[in-house]
Amino acid sequence: MRTLDPQSLPQHVDRLYRAAWALCGSREDAEDLVQETFSRVLSRPRVLQGDDELYYLMRVLRNTFLTGLRTASRRPVTAAVLEDVVAADPKPTSRPEQAIEVQELYATIAELSEDFRLALVAVDVLGLSYREAARALRVREATLTTRLFRARKQVAAQLAPEVEHVEETTREGKKAGGVLSSGGTA
Amino acid sequence: MNKRDPQIESELSERLRAIDVRAPQELHERIGMLVAERTATRRRPAGWRLQLGGAVALAAIVAGLLIGVLGGGTSSKLTMRETVALTQRPATTSAPSEDPRNGTELAVAVDGVPFPYWDERFGWRSTGSRTDRLDGRQVTTVFYINQEGQRIGYAIVAGKPAPPVKGGVIEWRGGTAYRLQHAWGSEVVSWQRAGHLCVIAGHDVSPSALLALASWQGHETLSA
Repeated sequence: MRTLDPQSLPQHVDRLYRAAWALCGSREDAEDLVQETFSRVLSRPRVLQGDDELYYLMRVLRNTFLTGLRTASRRPVTAAVLEDVVAADPKPTSRPEQAIEVQELYATIAELSEDFRLALVAVDVLGLSYREAARALRVREATLTTRLFRARKQVAAQLAPEVEHVEETTREGKKAGGVLSSGGTA
Repeated sequence: MNKRDPQIESELSERLRAIDVRAPQELHERIGMLVAERTATRRRPAGWRLQLGGAVALAAIVAGLLIGVLGGGTSSKLTMRETVALTQRPATTSAPSEDPRNGTELAVAVDGVPFPYWDERFGWRSTGSRTDRLDGRQVTTVFYINQEGQRIGYAIVAGKPAPPVKGGVIEWRGGTAYRLQHAWGSEVVSWQRAGHLCVIAGHDVSPSALLALASWQGHETLSA
């Protein structure tokens, strides 16, 4: 058993931000979720029972996310529209092509049902082990495995047309290349 | 995709794990400040007034970070987001004291609009203040803390007219419209006093508690 050291928390900001982005589907909401998560964690001393910090943060992130969803659904007017919208950081990553891919991937994950989304985020985005993820999400390991499998399958299905298209184009390209090559040698 | 396709699924998993997007620098800074602040709060003994030196030191530590956030004192954009962000930053000056001429106010004001003294009535004592500039307007923020260690920031934007605010839910108290929002990880109440935009924001503080504080006019909290 040990007390969570607040000074060690900033090292997890990036990973938690990615997890929050995949959960919310929006970078702005992800920022709020991460900040609220850290605010909750830091509101009082925390005791970890031999658990990894990241596992603990995932648990709080999940609770904060679910609380936010429920609170938002009860609120008559939810959008905090600003008089001046500050443009979000246009360069979340130094590689523009990756930014598009990330946006697409996370947006697809955010469309999954809540349980599937949390399972995928805990394991594939945050990098928790199945055991840690199951405990953080308060489900059995077998349940997590099933959810994770289904979540991956759904996301893969969403992205599949693009993959198939690329494969088809590649096949056609190879055929064309073959003909030219034959002609060349003849 | 009716059958399980291990290759596509493992590729997906690999793609997700390979993403190395960093959180925005501003978020890193906000979390860093939150950690610094909470660490300082926990180390604070019962005689918190003796810790003024520590608070100033903390402010000095984060001053470098603020230069990046606020452009070294030059104007940032005046938005609710920026204003609320100020209420979450550390104090840079000592706690303003109670106005000896008026037991319901602090001895600090913006364009003649004073900050309230809540310690006696609500148990929220002022812990410090800071002044920033957003879009050329001065924004003064006073920070309060209660016995549970909850912290809120009360910002008053100088100059008239008050910048317009949209969204949220309006609650009326004594003929004044108070706008309640949950945004940027905080509960936020904004309203106007003598034509000046006032914003109170805090984590883990209920909107009703913030509204009660905001609508207090030195005697009783106004009911709807």
